[in-house]
Amino acid sequence: MRIEGEYIFNGPREDVWEIIRDPEVLTKALPGTQSLKQVSESIYEGELFVRVGPVVGSFSGRLEVSNEVHPESLTLTVEGEGKPGFAKGSGDVQFIDRGDGTTLLKYAGEVQIGGKIASVGQRLLDTVSKSMARQGLGAVDEALQARIKAKTGGEQVEYKPPSEVEFAAAVAKDMASEVFSSRWVWLVVALVAVIILAIVFITSFR
Amino acid sequence: MTKSYVGQRIKRNEDPRLLTGQALFVDDVQIPGMLHAAFLRSDYAHARLRGVDVTKALKREGVVAIYTARDMGDDWKPGPPLVSPPATVENVVFHSRTQVPLVKDKVRYAGEPIAVVVATSRYIAEDAVDDIVVDLEPLEVVVDLEKALATDSPRVHDDLDSNLAAHLSQEKGNYQAAREKADLVIKRRFYIDRGAAAAMENRGIVAQWDVKSQQLTVWDTTQAPIPIRNGLAARLGLSTHQVRVIAPFVGGGFGPKIMMFYPEEMLIPWLSIQLGRPIKWIEDRRENFFATTQERQQIHDAEMALAKDGKILGIRHSFIHDTGAYDPYGLTIPLNTQSHAMGAYDVPNYFSELKVVFTNRVIVTPVRGAGRPQGIFLVERLLDLAAKELGVDPVEIRKKNFIPANAFPYEHKIIDQAFAPLIFDSGNYLPAMEKAVSMIGYEQFVKEEQPRLRKEGRHVGIAVIPFIETTGVGPYEGARVTVETSGKVSVATGVGTQGQGHFTSFAQVVADQLGVDVRDVHLVTGDTAEFHWGTGTFASRGAVVAGNAVHAAAKAVRAKVLKLASKVLNTPEDELELKDGLVRVADIPQRSISLGELAVLANPLRGAVEPGTEPGLEATDYFGPRYGATAFAVHAMIIEVDPETMMVDIKRFVVVEDCGTMLNPLLVEGQIHGGVSMGIGHSFYEKLHYDENGQLLNASFADYLIPTSMEVPRVEIGHQETPSPLNPIGSKGAGEAGAIPVPALFAQAIENALADYDIEILETPLSPNRLFELVHGKEKE
Repeated sequence: MRIEGEYIFNGPREDVWEIIRDPEVLTKALPGTQSLKQVSESIYEGELFVRVGPVVGSFSGRLEVSNEVHPESLTLTVEGEGKPGFAKGSGDVQFIDRGDGTTLLKYAGEVQIGGKIASVGQRLLDTVSKSMARQGLGAVDEALQARIKAKTGGEQVEYKPPSEVEFAAAVAKDMASEVFSSRWVWLVVALVAVIILAIVFITSFR
Repeated sequence: MTKSYVGQRIKRNEDPRLLTGQALFVDDVQIPGMLHAAFLRSDYAHARLRGVDVTKALKREGVVAIYTARDMGDDWKPGPPLVSPPATVENVVFHSRTQVPLVKDKVRYAGEPIAVVVATSRYIAEDAVDDIVVDLEPLEVVVDLEKALATDSPRVHDDLDSNLAAHLSQEKGNYQAAREKADLVIKRRFYIDRGAAAAMENRGIVAQWDVKSQQLTVWDTTQAPIPIRNGLAARLGLSTHQVRVIAPFVGGGFGPKIMMFYPEEMLIPWLSIQLGRPIKWIEDRRENFFATTQERQQIHDAEMALAKDGKILGIRHSFIHDTGAYDPYGLTIPLNTQSHAMGAYDVPNYFSELKVVFTNRVIVTPVRGAGRPQGIFLVERLLDLAAKELGVDPVEIRKKNFIPANAFPYEHKIIDQAFAPLIFDSGNYLPAMEKAVSMIGYEQFVKEEQPRLRKEGRHVGIAVIPFIETTGVGPYEGARVTVETSGKVSVATGVGTQGQGHFTSFAQVVADQLGVDVRDVHLVTGDTAEFHWGTGTFASRGAVVAGNAVHAAAKAVRAKVLKLASKVLNTPEDELELKDGLVRVADIPQRSISLGELAVLANPLRGAVEPGTEPGLEATDYFGPRYGATAFAVHAMIIEVDPETMMVDIKRFVVVEDCGTMLNPLLVEGQIHGGVSMGIGHSFYEKLHYDENGQLLNASFADYLIPTSMEVPRVEIGHQETPSPLNPIGSKGAGEAGAIPVPALFAQAIENALADYDIEILETPLSPNRLFELVHGKEKE
């Protein structure tokens, strides 16, 4: 499965780089992360809880950061397996200074997914993975804002990562928005509305 | 006999039981103290097994035992090859690699079992499966059929030089010479992909080893209980009399349940003996996608040489057939493809080269059609393309090429799936074709309706596909018929039943011979304790082979009845008739004796009998055809395609079936309905999507779409009966027929409906999405 996307951080590249490389922040920001510990300079190990449709469970695995070109790019390699199946893959992450104090993060990679999560969750996988990435990066951005505020204003701002429930709700919302963007759904909704109106109309004359 | 039951539309004897929940299925078997098994299956399609840690799983309360390949010791053996080519067939390369009970060194497909947990409940067993830690080293996966044959491809079986499982060429006449004389040569590449059988009932096994009687009883959803019993006895070191295999009511077979010695089928009985406890395993739907065999993937490079009048001069194709990770079923499927690649036509020159490849996917064995749909797809597509090129009507080009009625038995001069000469025993194709064409109103549709609807901007299309099906193959089946003292008749036969209506069709045959009510004939199928000679239900052979065995046994009982009654009634046999459960003197109806009374007399408690007398009114007999009977049918369909969604709406569906003498047209029609709906699924909805890593991406009915009542049309059926000269009843098989031509039918109908898009359909199954791509791609060019 090809994974790619981009995200604009509201902060300078150096700060984005730093926060992305901070395991403390990553643990809190990556949705579903139950544990993440740094075992060496560039290797992390941990557990990630996922829910893709009917497939639920934890992946345990490792994350390796390589090809680091500070603060421009790095390569992430992930490998994990668990009850829902397995995933392994790698992707390149680029940090692009947009020249206006914001940073464009671009990522692209290939992930191999197998087991239950691939065979039963396939239809939802794309949406869920995109949603997870978007939310994870959003949470990192919030942490970044907190940190920048602390740096400039000197005030301590507590960063609160999203809870499991908030995360699940956001995934559901993303999935729903995908459904509602389809023309057919609106056609059905319109049809139902017409039928309801007709029923109301008819019954009011009784 | 006044009224003959054979040929009547008798309602099914078994239905009251089935409809009121009084029929035993494997999952209904409950035994006190029964344990439950669950399997740990590989998530990877190809991986080296480095270790299995069951420590944690064993600690779970309720877990009784866990076995891996290592725990099986010397009992770990690959399954038996089922139908390997005999050594007498020349120029065949065949590497037999059969499935293993549990993975020992290497995983070869996603879903292959690595360990089995036995626990006090299925819930606990499944939870314990999750506790097991497996160490697998993923290997590069073999999925693509062509890449699999490349020299640098990773190998599914390390001990072989390549992934080539088999190689075989067949030639009839001289294709090359025919091609040189041809006015037109159509050459294309065709892709056929995988589908599932998706039976309503998944597989299931209950095994009970009784220590004190030293008897093993196995309830199994198999289509072949007798070979399973024989094989289990051999594997477990038991006498065949110590093993009883019961195939009770089974909710659909469709081929995969004939795959003998699935890992679970060997393991559950073995475990029952190891643990001295009854054990049940019922496959769940997800497992069914990973653990039950599938079919159909082939790639063909094919060409057809024709004269300008549309006469076929020859066909040549070379194809790759995917057998999955193992090839226990030998060459049955690709040989069937060859037997059907000339369709119902008189093709003088034919050359076919087949290569079978191992891939990291679920094992391939026959699924309703068994290689035939691929052959028919090929020849019918080539004919459609040729007709278009020559400006000939698709119906006319087919009529021109039919094997004429006076050419039977028609020798094809190639070998069939049994490695015997392919001969079509009988047939009369033209009238059946004309009947179908007239039933669908071909002329009127093409000349009036279609132009009118096209003017309105509607995309309507018609298709007519004739096809043959080789059915009713040997070796043999047997049956025992007994008149009981109640006057009722019991029949036992070895074939299993999965919904075909054997309890009715066989009863009709017996009732006619013995002059009893069809409802008074009680049948037992698929219980080795009742009858233990035979092979099984497959290759559309039940009504042909078992039907004629029942017929032979019933005739033998009739002879015994007449002989005894002649003595008792003091009347010559030829003056007696069997009617209403009585034997009576034809012109003096009051002089009669009931069959029940005769049965009592045939089994006296006192006195002496003549030497050589067999007790009772009972006989066992067998039937084995010289070769298989070939059925014929024509499917015709009118569709409308929505050009926006590419959804196909079937407006009419006509089938004219010629399966020889029909035992019961109602049952034949039921088989056709089922076959057609399966064919529709395999043509337009069902496709197993594997990714490049051998992962099945749609292993649930939410994503793998089988047709529902919304997609299956009302099928209008016409019959023609051309009896087979190869058996006394004259029957031919009909079980698989309905599914065979439908992919070719869809392709022809869609091309016809979308004539203005000028697309060529060279693949099956299709889907609205795929059709959209085909049309869209064309537009972009």
